[in-house]
Amino acid sequence: MTESAPEPAPESQMETLVVRRTIRATPERLFAAWTEPEQLRQWWGPEGVMCVGAEVDLRPGGRYRIGNQLPDKNILWIVGEFEVIEPPRRLTYTWRLEGISETAERVTVRFDAQGEATDVIVTHERIPNRDLRDQHQHGWQGCLDGLAGYLQASRSG
Amino acid sequence: MRSSVKSKNQSDDRLDLVFRALGDRTRRALLARLAEKPAMVTELAEPFAMSLPAVSRHIRVLERARLVVRKVDGRVHHCSLDLAPLKTAESWLAHYRKFWEGQLEALARYVEDDDQKRQR
Repeated sequence: MTESAPEPAPESQMETLVVRRTIRATPERLFAAWTEPEQLRQWWGPEGVMCVGAEVDLRPGGRYRIGNQLPDKNILWIVGEFEVIEPPRRLTYTWRLEGISETAERVTVRFDAQGEATDVIVTHERIPNRDLRDQHQHGWQGCLDGLAGYLQASRSG
Repeated sequence: MRSSVKSKNQSDDRLDLVFRALGDRTRRALLARLAEKPAMVTELAEPFAMSLPAVSRHIRVLERARLVVRKVDGRVHHCSLDLAPLKTAESWLAHYRKFWEGQLEALARYVEDDDQKRQR
């Protein structure tokens, strides 16, 4: 399947999210956990979702690929390219869900030392400003929608 | 601010319950049967080589996930599908907020537990 990188959505249809957490570890430790495939595989993924693969080419323009196995056994791949790499302080990379995202999003992670801990700040930009259901989708919501559709169809069939 | 944190956890919890409910073959079969039409627990139990209390336990899991609604009428339990939780429209923003909060929590546990082990 040929894949040209999707364009970002128009400004008016995009949102930005910032999420932060203070973690008791150094920026160096956290930067390594975030960029080394062997470490990523150990912690990446929501509850009940297993990280089945991580490839990281850590250089500007380098690509990454992280695979998450969902409860229904499908694998959701998150892919993108690195734009900014400033160890141990900052990472910026494009982000899209392979086969699902119609536009490219962007994630910046900052690791700000705060004494013996680190403030980890994730800024996720260019999030499409539309219902999940408006888009072709797999994943968590997709499983549920599929089931709802199947059950509705059986009901009326 | 407190109440918005609470509602985020609630929808997370609800999603957990739905997944747990759907993660069992018998429960999926029960849902498929109820998709055809509502039924009493005794009717639902028939096709399964399973005791009535066992089926009732499965139904309770489906109820807790709010996929099934049970009405008790004397000694008869009527069950029907409740598809409302499956249709909750959610924005990408809300989805990603939960996603990243979960990710940072997992990262914290990973590095903090790891450091604890190394200190032993």
